[in-house]
Amino acid sequence: MLKITGAVLAAGLALGTQALAADAPAEIKIGTLYASSGRFASISMPVHSALKLWAEQKNAEGGVFVKAFDKKIPVKLVAYDDQSNTATASTLYNQLITQDKVDLLVADSGSVLTAPAVAIARDHKMFLFDQTGTGASFFSKDNPYIALMADPVSTVWPKPVADFVSQDGPGLGIKKIAILYSTNEFTGTQANAFRKFVKDSGAPIEIVYDQGIPTETTNYTVIINNIANTQPDAVIHFGYAPNDIAFLRNVADVGVNFKMLFSIYAGLETELLEKNVGEKGLEYVYTYVPPSELEYPVNFGMDMKAYKAAWDKKYSDGKVEFGFNAVAGYTTGLVIEKTLSVATSLDQMELRRAVFSLSGELKTLDGTFALDEMGGQIGELTPLGQLRLDDHGHIKFVSIYPHETATGKPVYPRP
Amino acid sequence: MPSAFKHALFIVLPLIAVFAVLPSFYQNHLLLFNFVIFLILAQGVNIIYGFTGYLPFGYVGFFGAGAYGFAILVMHYQAPAPLAVLAGGVIGVALGLLLTPLLRLSGAYFAIANLAASLAVLHFVANPALENITRGPYGVSLTGTFNPTLAYNAALVVLTLTLGAVVYLKNSRFGLALQAVREDAVSASMAGVDVVWMRVIAWLASALVAGLAGGVYAWYVSVFYPDNVFSGDFSIFAIVFALFGGVATITGPIVGVIILYGIYNLIGFTTPQYFQLIYGLLIMGLVLFLPAGLVSLATRRGWHVP
Repeated sequence: MLKITGAVLAAGLALGTQALAADAPAEIKIGTLYASSGRFASISMPVHSALKLWAEQKNAEGGVFVKAFDKKIPVKLVAYDDQSNTATASTLYNQLITQDKVDLLVADSGSVLTAPAVAIARDHKMFLFDQTGTGASFFSKDNPYIALMADPVSTVWPKPVADFVSQDGPGLGIKKIAILYSTNEFTGTQANAFRKFVKDSGAPIEIVYDQGIPTETTNYTVIINNIANTQPDAVIHFGYAPNDIAFLRNVADVGVNFKMLFSIYAGLETELLEKNVGEKGLEYVYTYVPPSELEYPVNFGMDMKAYKAAWDKKYSDGKVEFGFNAVAGYTTGLVIEKTLSVATSLDQMELRRAVFSLSGELKTLDGTFALDEMGGQIGELTPLGQLRLDDHGHIKFVSIYPHETATGKPVYPRP
Repeated sequence: MPSAFKHALFIVLPLIAVFAVLPSFYQNHLLLFNFVIFLILAQGVNIIYGFTGYLPFGYVGFFGAGAYGFAILVMHYQAPAPLAVLAGGVIGVALGLLLTPLLRLSGAYFAIANLAASLAVLHFVANPALENITRGPYGVSLTGTFNPTLAYNAALVVLTLTLGAVVYLKNSRFGLALQAVREDAVSASMAGVDVVWMRVIAWLASALVAGLAGGVYAWYVSVFYPDNVFSGDFSIFAIVFALFGGVATITGPIVGVIILYGIYNLIGFTTPQYFQLIYGLLIMGLVLFLPAGLVSLATRRGWHVP
């Protein structure tokens, strides 16, 4: 009797395994968008290029391990060009879901091009792998269909800068600060969060200038003079890369030497700013230290050195800059890979469960992947650093704050 | 049979019927929705440009204002979505009233001033100081009213009303007077046409159409930023579609949207790398060989195009 039962069980198991293998798809379809032209191309293309690099690398290894089918399956990127057009992006997200019937949905880069995907993904009950859309409005308790992969959510991102100003600042002589920001969701939210952190700290810091300006601003000369008139001890500028380029150029043109000058993209897209502002214009500028300048210990995927080598090999023409966004796209790939390796099915809620199970556990070259309950990224924080010139006149990062990751002391005031 | 009735029966009704049943056969509803939105906007451009000669480069200003009118009513007054769409239309008209002095300009001066006005509205809405009202640059999330099916049907209603207005203009003394003003304002005035009044009515009707379209769009997409709904692409697409088909007709903008937006999506889906080249060549060909739009292929042969 026992033998018969064993034989039946074995046969059942064999049949089950065959059925499982038969049900396995030939490829895992990952749908995404990118912007090859338009105002978001500069942030979208590095992210997309990195995701492609990850997919090609995995396919060269035979695919990614998918626990739901207990085997390696190749991935197929189904990618459309939205040309930075949000109406087109909406249509294409819908196309990916309804016509291409992708297994996983990955948003384009940045909040503006992610925004159309949020409602569409939710409507179709598709889990959205939000790459770098940090908009606080995306994450709510009633929307389980989203998680932020690679950037900290905008409301926590500037905490290291605010903590440095409010905790170390008074000791250095920082008592008056100026805040200048571009009026878009990304930089506007960072300015709000920064202001709140500083005020809540109770530090003896006075905000002497606080102004939002259109994102399209290209000439800051008058604004810089207005800021200089308030005699701030630190100037915090939140803008996109083109804003930072124009602002830093104009600071040099006007000849004002702010004691402390912070800008986001001096650190996030250093190669781009170096080309447009020059090394001297970036010297002593405070900025976020991107993961590409740090050696985070990893427990999954390539470390930074190996990834940079792989990037240089694949994109040797240098048309797409290696920087923060290039790391973000690869991080998305790693989260997807790890998710598929722990998800027991491709059901969207199971994918969500799998993604959230990685929170605090997954350590990539981008730092520790950690989500809050709404899917906002609260790990992968970027420390505050300062750009210096080495002996050869090349830009190098010095991490300043938090102290536990610091590699040097701040130079204040700027010489 | 009166021609207005014929136009409604053979153009408006079939078009609406097709877009009403298409969602049952084609799953990318958002693509169909965008078609409807561009049909509305192209007809809105048709009303102001085709019948008066004012080229509204900043037409998206009304659209974005309508979207934010919808958002404000939903966020602050918990208004039902259909009422908020109507509010979007009212906001569009209010903005149109505010901008009526622009009608004193003409040609390129009007186009540039209108573009500047739309940018001014964008920066007004995106001003962080208005965060409590518009949410400033931080975007709105209207998940409470999110209902794609109803929003799509509402878009069809707006399209029907818009096409009805164009049919009226095409077949009424009012429309004829408008075209007379477009051709020669002085002669029209001497013939007893109230030029200013005519232009203002067409301007406000055009603003109403875009405001309603913006309201419906906000209802459908539900999460957006000022950059999304004030994107200049809406103006450019609507103008190009209307010009491609041929303005001052009912069918011209419809043909323009269906062909050009169809190609846009077809190329965008299959060979995006050739999109700009093919699209650019098409538009260059239009400007060089068919400056009066595709319908001129028929009118040159003496055929009547409604």
